[in-house]
Amino acid sequence: MLDWKIHPSFSRLVFELGKLPGIGKKTATRLALFILRQSSGDAESLAAAIREVKERTRFCSICFHYTEQDPCQLCTDPARDSEYLCVVQEPQDLLVVERSRSFRGRYHILHGALSPLDGIGPEQLKIAELMIRLEQGSVREVLLATNFSVEGEATAHYLAGLIRPLGIRVSRLAHGIPLGSDLEYVDEATVNRAVEGRQFLTE
Amino acid sequence: MRQEESEAIVLHHLDYNDADRIVSFFSLEQGLLKGFAHNARKSRKRFGSALELFAYVHLRWSGKASGDLVSLQDAELIDLHSGVRRDVGALALASYGCELVEALTAEAQSCPEIFHLLRAFLGHLSKAGLSLEARLLFELRLFSQLGYAPHFLHCSACNFPLDGDEVAFSANGGGGLCLECAPAALPLRVSPMTLGTLGRCLQAPVTLFEGFRFSERTLQEAGGVLQDILRQHLVRPLKSQSFMEQMLAGKARVKAIR
Repeated sequence: MLDWKIHPSFSRLVFELGKLPGIGKKTATRLALFILRQSSGDAESLAAAIREVKERTRFCSICFHYTEQDPCQLCTDPARDSEYLCVVQEPQDLLVVERSRSFRGRYHILHGALSPLDGIGPEQLKIAELMIRLEQGSVREVLLATNFSVEGEATAHYLAGLIRPLGIRVSRLAHGIPLGSDLEYVDEATVNRAVEGRQFLTE
Repeated sequence: MRQEESEAIVLHHLDYNDADRIVSFFSLEQGLLKGFAHNARKSRKRFGSALELFAYVHLRWSGKASGDLVSLQDAELIDLHSGVRRDVGALALASYGCELVEALTAEAQSCPEIFHLLRAFLGHLSKAGLSLEARLLFELRLFSQLGYAPHFLHCSACNFPLDGDEVAFSANGGGGLCLECAPAALPLRVSPMTLGTLGRCLQAPVTLFEGFRFSERTLQEAGGVLQDILRQHLVRPLKSQSFMEQMLAGKARVKAIR
Protein backbone atom coordinates (compact mmCIF):
# COMPACT_ATOMS: atom_id res chain seq x y z
CA MET A 1 0.00 0.00 0.00
CA LEU A 2 1.29 3.47 -0.85
CA ASP A 3 1.84 5.68 2.17
CA TRP A 4 -0.43 8.75 2.11
CA LYS A 5 2.25 10.88 3.75
CA ILE A 6 4.63 10.13 0.90
CA HIS A 7 1.95 10.11 -1.82
CA PRO A 8 -0.73 12.67 -0.89
CA SER A 9 -1.99 12.88 -4.51
CA PHE A 10 -2.63 9.12 -4.57
CA SER A 11 -4.46 9.31 -1.24
CA ARG A 12 -6.56 12.16 -2.55
CA LEU A 13 -7.57 10.11 -5.60
CA VAL A 14 -8.49 7.12 -3.37
CA PHE A 15 -10.52 9.44 -1.13
CA GLU A 16 -12.39 10.96 -4.10
CA LEU A 17 -13.07 7.59 -5.76
CA GLY A 18 -14.28 6.24 -2.41
CA LYS A 19 -17.13 8.78 -2.51
CA LEU A 20 -18.68 6.97 -5.50
CA PRO A 21 -21.68 4.74 -4.71
CA GLY A 22 -20.76 1.12 -4.00
CA ILE A 23 -17.02 1.88 -3.85
CA GLY A 24 -15.24 1.04 -0.61
CA LYS A 25 -11.65 1.86 0.29
CA LYS A 26 -10.24 -1.37 -1.18
CA THR A 27 -11.98 -0.91 -4.54
CA ALA A 28 -11.05 2.79 -4.58
CA THR A 29 -7.40 1.83 -4.08
CA ARG A 30 -7.63 -0.76 -6.88
CA LEU A 31 -9.17 1.83 -9.23
CA ALA A 32 -6.56 4.42 -8.29
CA LEU A 33 -3.75 1.92 -9.03
CA PHE A 34 -5.41 1.15 -12.39
CA ILE A 35 -5.50 4.86 -13.26
CA LEU A 36 -1.86 5.14 -12.21
CA ARG A 37 -0.94 2.34 -14.62
CA GLN A 38 -2.79 3.99 -17.53
CA SER A 39 -1.01 6.31 -19.95
CA SER A 40 -1.17 10.05 -19.24
CA GLY A 41 -3.44 10.41 -22.28
CA ASP A 42 -6.00 7.92 -20.93
CA ALA A 43 -5.98 9.50 -17.47
CA GLU A 44 -6.34 12.96 -19.03
CA SER A 45 -9.23 11.71 -21.14
CA LEU A 46 -11.06 10.36 -18.05
CA ALA A 47 -10.59 13.66 -16.22
CA ALA A 48 -11.77 15.62 -19.28
CA ALA A 49 -14.87 13.40 -19.63
CA ILE A 50 -15.84 14.04 -16.01
CA ARG A 51 -15.24 17.79 -16.41
CA GLU A 52 -17.19 17.94 -19.67
CA VAL A 53 -20.23 16.06 -18.39
CA LYS A 54 -20.43 18.37 -15.39
CA GLU A 55 -20.08 21.49 -17.53
CA ARG A 56 -22.53 20.53 -20.26
CA THR A 57 -25.23 18.60 -18.45
CA ARG A 58 -28.16 20.30 -16.74
CA PHE A 59 -31.81 19.60 -16.07
CA CYS A 60 -34.41 19.84 -18.82
CA SER A 61 -36.70 22.73 -17.90
CA ILE A 62 -39.79 20.63 -18.77
CA CYS A 63 -39.25 17.07 -17.51
CA PHE A 64 -36.18 17.62 -15.25
CA HIS A 65 -34.20 14.80 -16.85
CA TYR A 66 -30.46 15.30 -17.41
CA THR A 67 -29.80 16.89 -20.80
CA GLU A 68 -27.20 18.77 -22.80
CA GLN A 69 -29.84 20.71 -24.73
CA ASP A 70 -32.88 22.30 -23.17
CA PRO A 71 -35.62 21.12 -23.74
CA CYS A 72 -34.35 17.55 -23.94
CA GLN A 73 -34.86 15.13 -26.84
CA LEU A 74 -37.62 13.29 -25.02
CA CYS A 75 -39.63 16.49 -24.62
CA THR A 76 -39.15 17.63 -28.22
CA ASP A 77 -39.53 14.28 -30.02
CA PRO A 78 -42.66 14.69 -32.23
CA ALA A 79 -43.14 10.91 -32.39
CA ARG A 80 -44.02 10.81 -28.69
CA ASP A 81 -47.61 11.09 -27.51
CA SER A 82 -48.04 14.22 -25.39
CA GLU A 83 -51.34 12.98 -23.99
CA TYR A 84 -49.54 10.44 -21.80
CA LEU A 85 -47.17 11.45 -19.01
CA CYS A 86 -45.12 9.06 -16.90
CA VAL A 87 -44.02 10.38 -13.47
CA VAL A 88 -40.90 8.76 -12.01
CA GLN A 89 -38.84 9.35 -8.86
CA GLU A 90 -35.30 9.48 -10.28
CA PRO A 91 -33.59 9.80 -13.70
CA GLN A 92 -32.51 6.14 -13.53
CA ASP A 93 -36.18 5.12 -13.27
CA LEU A 94 -36.87 6.90 -16.57
CA LEU A 95 -34.09 4.85 -18.17
CA VAL A 96 -35.69 1.63 -16.88
CA VAL A 97 -39.11 2.52 -18.35
CA GLU A 98 -37.47 3.54 -21.64
CA ARG A 99 -35.54 0.25 -21.79
CA SER A 100 -38.83 -1.64 -21.54
CA ARG A 101 -39.99 0.03 -24.82
CA SER A 102 -43.53 -0.09 -23.46
CA PHE A 103 -44.19 3.63 -23.07
CA ARG A 104 -44.14 6.21 -25.85
CA GLY A 105 -45.45 9.23 -23.96
CA ARG A 106 -43.52 11.94 -22.14
CA TYR A 107 -41.91 12.00 -18.68
CA HIS A 108 -41.66 14.04 -15.50
CA ILE A 109 -38.98 13.38 -12.87
CA LEU A 110 -39.78 14.27 -9.24
CA HIS A 111 -36.19 13.88 -7.97
CA GLY A 112 -37.24 11.98 -4.87
CA ALA A 113 -40.30 10.87 -2.92
CA LEU A 114 -42.11 12.28 0.10
CA SER A 115 -40.18 11.13 3.15
CA PRO A 116 -41.02 12.66 6.54
CA LEU A 117 -38.13 10.81 8.23
CA ASP A 118 -35.66 12.46 5.85
CA GLY A 119 -37.43 15.84 6.02
CA ILE A 120 -38.48 15.68 2.35
CA GLY A 121 -41.86 17.35 1.80
CA PRO A 122 -43.72 18.39 -1.36
CA GLU A 123 -41.62 21.60 -1.64
CA GLN A 124 -38.40 19.62 -2.04
CA LEU A 125 -39.76 17.72 -5.06
CA LYS A 126 -40.73 18.84 -8.59
CA ILE A 127 -44.43 18.60 -7.72
CA ALA A 128 -45.35 22.27 -8.26
CA GLU A 129 -43.68 22.09 -11.69
CA LEU A 130 -45.68 18.95 -12.50
CA MET A 131 -48.96 20.64 -11.58
CA ILE A 132 -48.16 23.72 -13.68
CA ARG A 133 -47.30 21.43 -16.58
CA LEU A 134 -50.58 19.52 -16.23
CA GLU A 135 -52.66 22.69 -15.96
CA GLN A 136 -51.07 24.15 -19.10
CA GLY A 137 -50.74 21.03 -21.23
CA SER A 138 -52.85 18.52 -23.08
CA VAL A 139 -52.17 15.49 -20.86
CA ARG A 140 -55.06 12.99 -20.68
CA GLU A 141 -53.41 10.29 -18.55
CA VAL A 142 -50.70 10.37 -15.91
CA LEU A 143 -48.91 7.08 -15.18
CA LEU A 144 -47.45 7.15 -11.66
CA ALA A 145 -44.28 5.06 -11.75
CA THR A 146 -42.82 5.88 -8.34
CA ASN A 147 -41.16 3.09 -6.33
CA PHE A 148 -43.17 0.52 -4.39
CA SER A 149 -41.60 1.54 -1.07
CA VAL A 150 -43.71 3.21 1.65
CA GLU A 151 -42.51 6.63 0.48
CA GLY A 152 -43.03 5.90 -3.23
CA GLU A 153 -46.53 4.58 -2.73
CA ALA A 154 -47.57 7.44 -0.43
CA THR A 155 -46.18 9.91 -3.00
CA ALA A 156 -48.24 8.24 -5.73
CA HIS A 157 -51.42 8.52 -3.65
CA TYR A 158 -50.62 12.14 -2.78
CA LEU A 159 -50.12 13.01 -6.46
CA ALA A 160 -53.28 11.15 -7.46
CA GLY A 161 -55.22 13.33 -5.01
CA LEU A 162 -53.79 16.49 -6.62
CA ILE A 163 -54.21 15.38 -10.24
CA ARG A 164 -57.71 13.84 -10.26
CA PRO A 165 -59.52 17.19 -9.69
CA LEU A 166 -57.96 18.41 -12.98
CA GLY A 167 -60.03 15.80 -14.83
CA ILE A 168 -56.94 13.84 -15.85
CA ARG A 169 -56.97 10.03 -15.65
CA VAL A 170 -54.43 8.68 -13.16
CA SER A 171 -52.91 5.19 -13.46
CA ARG A 172 -50.30 3.33 -11.42
CA LEU A 173 -47.80 0.69 -12.48
CA ALA A 174 -49.14 -2.83 -11.84
CA HIS A 175 -47.28 -4.96 -9.29
CA GLY A 176 -47.05 -8.66 -8.57
CA ILE A 177 -44.98 -11.74 -9.41
CA PRO A 178 -41.87 -11.02 -11.54
CA LEU A 179 -41.88 -12.72 -14.96
CA GLY A 180 -39.93 -15.99 -15.01
CA SER A 181 -39.94 -16.43 -11.22
CA ASP A 182 -41.23 -19.35 -9.14
CA LEU A 183 -44.13 -18.57 -6.83
CA GLU A 184 -42.50 -20.40 -3.90
CA TYR A 185 -39.66 -17.86 -3.76
CA VAL A 186 -41.87 -14.76 -3.77
CA ASP A 187 -42.45 -12.92 -0.46
CA GLU A 188 -45.86 -12.88 1.25
CA ALA A 189 -46.58 -9.17 0.70
CA THR A 190 -45.98 -9.41 -3.05
CA VAL A 191 -48.18 -12.53 -3.34
CA ASN A 192 -50.85 -10.70 -1.32
CA ARG A 193 -50.78 -7.76 -3.75
CA ALA A 194 -50.75 -10.09 -6.74
CA VAL A 195 -53.88 -11.86 -5.47
CA GLU A 196 -55.58 -8.53 -4.75
CA GLY A 197 -54.75 -7.26 -8.23
CA ARG A 198 -55.54 -10.53 -10.05
CA GLN A 199 -56.93 -10.30 -13.59
CA PHE A 200 -59.55 -12.44 -15.28
CA LEU A 201 -58.40 -14.41 -18.28
CA THR A 202 -60.44 -13.61 -21.35
CA GLU A 203 -60.60 -15.53 -24.60
CA MET B 1 -22.46 -15.94 18.36
CA ARG B 2 -25.81 -16.10 20.19
CA GLN B 3 -28.90 -16.15 18.02
CA GLU B 4 -31.75 -13.89 19.09
CA GLU B 5 -35.28 -13.54 17.79
CA SER B 6 -38.25 -11.37 18.58
CA GLU B 7 -41.27 -9.65 17.16
CA ALA B 8 -40.25 -6.16 16.07
CA ILE B 9 -41.36 -3.01 14.27
CA VAL B 10 -39.13 -1.38 11.65
CA LEU B 11 -38.64 2.28 12.62
CA HIS B 12 -36.17 3.52 10.03
CA HIS B 13 -33.79 2.17 7.43
CA LEU B 14 -30.84 3.46 5.53
CA ASP B 15 -29.52 1.98 2.30
CA TYR B 16 -25.83 1.17 2.56
CA ASN B 17 -23.49 0.20 -0.27
CA ASP B 18 -25.17 -1.41 -3.28
CA ALA B 19 -27.44 -3.91 -1.58
CA ASP B 20 -27.09 -3.64 2.21
CA ARG B 21 -29.38 -1.90 4.64
CA ILE B 22 -29.00 -0.51 8.15
CA VAL B 23 -32.26 -0.91 10.06
CA SER B 24 -33.50 0.63 13.32
CA PHE B 25 -36.17 -1.51 14.92
CA PHE B 26 -38.08 -1.73 18.17
CA SER B 27 -38.27 -5.29 19.42
CA LEU B 28 -40.67 -6.78 21.93
CA GLU B 29 -37.85 -8.52 23.79
CA GLN B 30 -35.00 -6.00 23.74
CA GLY B 31 -36.49 -2.63 22.83
CA LEU B 32 -34.62 -0.35 20.41
CA LEU B 33 -31.85 -1.97 18.36
CA LYS B 34 -29.97 -1.20 15.16
CA GLY B 35 -29.02 -3.94 12.75
CA PHE B 36 -27.02 -4.52 9.60
CA ALA B 37 -28.88 -6.50 6.93
CA HIS B 38 -26.29 -7.78 4.48
CA ASN B 39 -27.57 -7.92 0.88
CA ALA B 40 -31.08 -7.04 2.10
CA ARG B 41 -32.14 -5.20 -1.04
CA LYS B 42 -31.28 -8.14 -3.29
CA SER B 43 -32.24 -11.09 -1.11
CA ARG B 44 -35.98 -11.52 -1.55
CA LYS B 45 -35.81 -14.87 0.26
CA ARG B 46 -34.28 -13.72 3.58
CA PHE B 47 -36.02 -10.37 3.91
CA GLY B 48 -38.53 -9.83 1.08
CA SER B 49 -40.52 -6.71 1.92
CA ALA B 50 -40.16 -7.29 5.68
CA LEU B 51 -37.67 -4.46 6.21
CA GLU B 52 -40.01 -1.80 4.84
CA LEU B 53 -40.81 1.12 7.16
CA PHE B 54 -43.46 0.41 9.84
CA ALA B 55 -43.47 -3.33 9.07
CA TYR B 56 -44.42 -5.61 11.99
CA VAL B 57 -42.10 -8.59 11.64
CA HIS B 58 -40.54 -11.59 13.30
CA LEU B 59 -36.80 -10.86 13.18
CA ARG B 60 -33.80 -13.11 13.78
CA TRP B 61 -30.36 -11.71 14.47
CA SER B 62 -27.02 -12.55 16.02
CA GLY B 63 -24.87 -10.42 18.37
CA LYS B 64 -23.08 -7.26 17.38
CA ALA B 65 -21.69 -7.49 13.85
CA SER B 66 -19.67 -4.30 13.93
CA GLY B 67 -19.78 -1.40 16.36
CA ASP B 68 -23.29 -0.99 17.71
CA LEU B 69 -25.09 -3.00 15.03
CA VAL B 70 -26.50 -6.50 15.37
CA SER B 71 -26.32 -8.74 12.32
CA LEU B 72 -29.80 -9.40 10.90
CA GLN B 73 -30.25 -12.98 9.64
CA ASP B 74 -33.79 -12.97 8.24
CA ALA B 75 -37.24 -11.53 8.76
CA GLU B 76 -40.75 -12.83 8.42
CA LEU B 77 -43.47 -10.31 7.67
CA ILE B 78 -46.51 -10.28 9.97
CA ASP B 79 -48.18 -7.00 8.98
CA LEU B 80 -46.97 -4.38 6.50
CA HIS B 81 -49.48 -1.77 7.77
CA SER B 82 -50.21 -1.13 4.12
CA GLY B 83 -52.96 1.42 4.83
CA VAL B 84 -50.19 3.88 5.76
CA ARG B 85 -48.93 3.69 2.16
CA ARG B 86 -52.25 4.93 0.81
CA ASP B 87 -52.48 8.07 2.93
CA VAL B 88 -49.69 10.64 3.08
CA GLY B 89 -51.15 12.05 6.33
CA ALA B 90 -50.94 8.61 7.96
CA LEU B 91 -47.38 8.30 6.61
CA ALA B 92 -46.51 11.61 8.26
CA LEU B 93 -47.92 10.65 11.68
CA ALA B 94 -46.50 7.10 11.55
CA SER B 95 -43.05 8.53 10.72
CA TYR B 96 -43.37 11.00 13.59
CA GLY B 97 -44.34 8.21 16.01
CA CYS B 98 -41.41 6.02 14.97
CA GLU B 99 -38.94 8.91 15.09
CA LEU B 100 -40.21 9.86 18.54
CA VAL B 101 -39.70 6.31 19.85
CA GLU B 102 -36.20 6.19 18.35
CA ALA B 103 -35.31 9.58 19.83
CA LEU B 104 -36.67 9.00 23.34
CA THR B 105 -35.84 5.37 24.13
CA ALA B 106 -32.45 3.98 25.07
CA GLU B 107 -30.95 1.11 23.08
CA ALA B 108 -31.37 -2.51 24.18
CA GLN B 109 -33.76 -1.77 27.05
CA SER B 110 -36.82 -3.97 27.03
CA CYS B 111 -40.14 -2.13 27.22
CA PRO B 112 -42.99 -4.34 25.98
CA GLU B 113 -45.60 -1.65 26.73
CA ILE B 114 -43.98 0.74 24.24
CA PHE B 115 -43.83 -2.06 21.66
CA HIS B 116 -47.56 -2.77 22.10
CA LEU B 117 -48.35 0.96 22.04
CA LEU B 118 -46.44 1.49 18.79
CA ARG B 119 -47.95 -1.59 17.17
CA ALA B 120 -51.50 -0.49 18.06
CA PHE B 121 -50.76 3.08 16.89
CA LEU B 122 -49.52 1.92 13.46
CA GLY B 123 -52.44 -0.50 13.15
CA HIS B 124 -54.87 2.33 13.92
CA LEU B 125 -53.25 4.71 11.41
CA SER B 126 -53.29 1.99 8.78
CA LYS B 127 -57.06 1.64 9.18
CA ALA B 128 -58.24 5.12 10.19
CA GLY B 129 -55.57 7.49 8.82
CA LEU B 130 -54.28 10.73 10.33
CA SER B 131 -56.02 12.27 13.34
CA LEU B 132 -55.11 14.75 16.07
CA GLU B 133 -56.65 12.39 18.65
CA ALA B 134 -54.28 9.56 17.66
CA ARG B 135 -51.28 11.86 17.91
CA LEU B 136 -52.33 13.15 21.33
CA LEU B 137 -52.98 9.65 22.74
CA PHE B 138 -49.70 8.28 21.37
CA GLU B 139 -47.56 11.12 22.75
CA LEU B 140 -49.30 11.04 26.11
CA ARG B 141 -48.95 7.26 26.54
CA LEU B 142 -45.36 7.23 25.34
CA PHE B 143 -44.40 9.95 27.86
CA SER B 144 -46.19 8.00 30.58
CA GLN B 145 -44.37 4.75 29.72
CA LEU B 146 -41.05 6.60 29.75
CA GLY B 147 -41.83 8.06 33.17
CA TYR B 148 -42.30 11.61 31.88
CA ALA B 149 -45.99 12.00 32.78
CA PRO B 150 -46.43 15.22 34.80
CA HIS B 151 -49.02 16.09 37.46
CA PHE B 152 -52.35 16.59 35.71
CA LEU B 153 -54.86 16.58 38.55
CA HIS B 154 -52.97 18.30 41.40
CA CYS B 155 -50.78 21.38 41.58
CA SER B 156 -47.21 20.14 41.32
CA ALA B 157 -46.07 22.79 43.85
CA CYS B 158 -48.72 22.76 46.63
CA ASN B 159 -50.43 19.43 45.76
CA PHE B 160 -53.95 20.90 45.95
CA PRO B 161 -56.48 19.66 43.37
CA LEU B 162 -56.51 21.84 40.25
CA ASP B 163 -59.83 23.67 39.72
CA GLY B 164 -61.23 27.01 38.57
CA ASP B 165 -61.42 28.31 35.00
CA GLU B 166 -57.75 28.33 34.27
CA VAL B 167 -54.48 26.83 35.54
CA ALA B 168 -50.86 27.06 34.40
CA PHE B 169 -48.70 24.28 33.04
CA SER B 170 -44.95 23.86 33.15
CA ALA B 171 -43.28 20.57 32.24
CA ASN B 172 -40.11 21.93 33.82
CA GLY B 173 -42.04 22.72 37.02
CA GLY B 174 -43.50 19.20 37.23
CA GLY B 175 -46.88 19.72 35.49
CA GLY B 176 -50.07 21.62 36.34
CA LEU B 177 -49.76 24.61 38.68
CA CYS B 178 -52.52 26.52 40.44
CA LEU B 179 -52.52 30.27 39.75
CA GLU B 180 -51.25 30.99 43.28
CA CYS B 181 -48.15 28.82 42.75
CA ALA B 182 -47.50 29.63 39.07
CA PRO B 183 -44.96 32.38 38.28
CA ALA B 184 -46.69 35.30 36.57
CA ALA B 185 -44.40 35.00 33.55
CA LEU B 186 -45.43 31.40 32.82
CA PRO B 187 -47.16 31.65 29.42
CA LEU B 188 -48.92 28.27 29.13
CA ARG B 189 -52.45 28.60 30.55
CA VAL B 190 -54.99 25.81 30.10
CA SER B 191 -58.35 24.69 31.43
CA PRO B 192 -58.12 22.22 34.34
CA MET B 193 -60.66 20.18 32.31
CA THR B 194 -57.99 19.67 29.63
CA LEU B 195 -55.47 18.38 32.17
CA GLY B 196 -58.20 16.21 33.69
CA THR B 197 -58.93 14.73 30.25
CA LEU B 198 -55.24 13.94 29.78
CA GLY B 199 -55.13 12.31 33.21
CA ARG B 200 -58.23 10.21 32.44
CA CYS B 201 -56.84 9.15 29.04
CA LEU B 202 -53.96 7.51 30.88
CA GLN B 203 -56.44 5.19 32.58
CA ALA B 204 -57.45 3.64 29.22
CA PRO B 205 -55.54 0.64 27.81
CA VAL B 206 -52.40 1.73 25.89
CA THR B 207 -53.56 -0.09 22.75
CA LEU B 208 -56.99 1.57 22.55
CA PHE B 209 -57.20 4.35 19.93
CA GLU B 210 -60.75 3.99 18.61
CA GLY B 211 -63.67 5.96 20.02
CA PHE B 212 -61.85 9.04 21.40
CA ARG B 213 -63.28 12.45 20.52
CA PHE B 214 -61.98 15.72 21.97
CA SER B 215 -63.22 19.30 21.60
CA GLU B 216 -61.17 21.78 19.56
CA ARG B 217 -60.14 23.55 22.76
CA THR B 218 -58.96 20.32 24.41
CA LEU B 219 -56.97 19.34 21.31
CA GLN B 220 -55.32 22.74 21.09
CA GLU B 221 -54.48 23.06 24.79
CA ALA B 222 -53.40 19.43 25.16
CA GLY B 223 -51.18 19.86 22.08
CA GLY B 224 -49.43 22.77 23.82
CA VAL B 225 -49.00 20.77 27.04
CA LEU B 226 -47.52 17.74 25.23
CA GLN B 227 -45.18 19.92 23.18
CA ASP B 228 -43.95 21.52 26.40
CA ILE B 229 -43.16 18.04 27.79
CA LEU B 230 -41.51 17.03 24.52
CA ARG B 231 -39.23 20.08 24.52
CA GLN B 232 -37.88 18.99 27.91
CA HIS B 233 -36.68 15.65 26.60
CA LEU B 234 -35.71 16.05 22.96
CA VAL B 235 -32.09 16.87 22.24
CA ARG B 236 -32.70 17.69 18.57
CA PRO B 237 -35.81 18.62 16.56
CA LEU B 238 -37.55 15.76 14.74
CA LYS B 239 -37.34 15.81 10.95
CA SER B 240 -40.83 14.42 10.57
CA GLN B 241 -42.51 16.98 12.82
CA SER B 242 -42.77 19.90 10.40
CA PHE B 243 -44.00 17.56 7.64
CA MET B 244 -46.69 16.23 9.99
CA GLU B 245 -47.70 19.74 11.11
CA GLN B 246 -48.22 20.66 7.42
CA MET B 247 -50.43 17.62 6.90
CA LEU B 248 -52.46 18.29 10.06
CA ALA B 249 -52.91 21.95 9.09
CA GLY B 250 -54.11 20.87 5.63
CA LYS B 251 -56.59 18.42 7.16
CA ALA B 252 -57.89 21.07 9.57
CA ARG B 253 -58.38 23.49 6.62
CA VAL B 254 -60.37 20.89 4.67
CA LYS B 255 -62.48 20.14 7.78
CA ALA B 256 -63.15 23.87 8.28
CA ILE B 257 -64.23 24.32 4.62
CA ARG B 258 -66.59 21.31 4.84
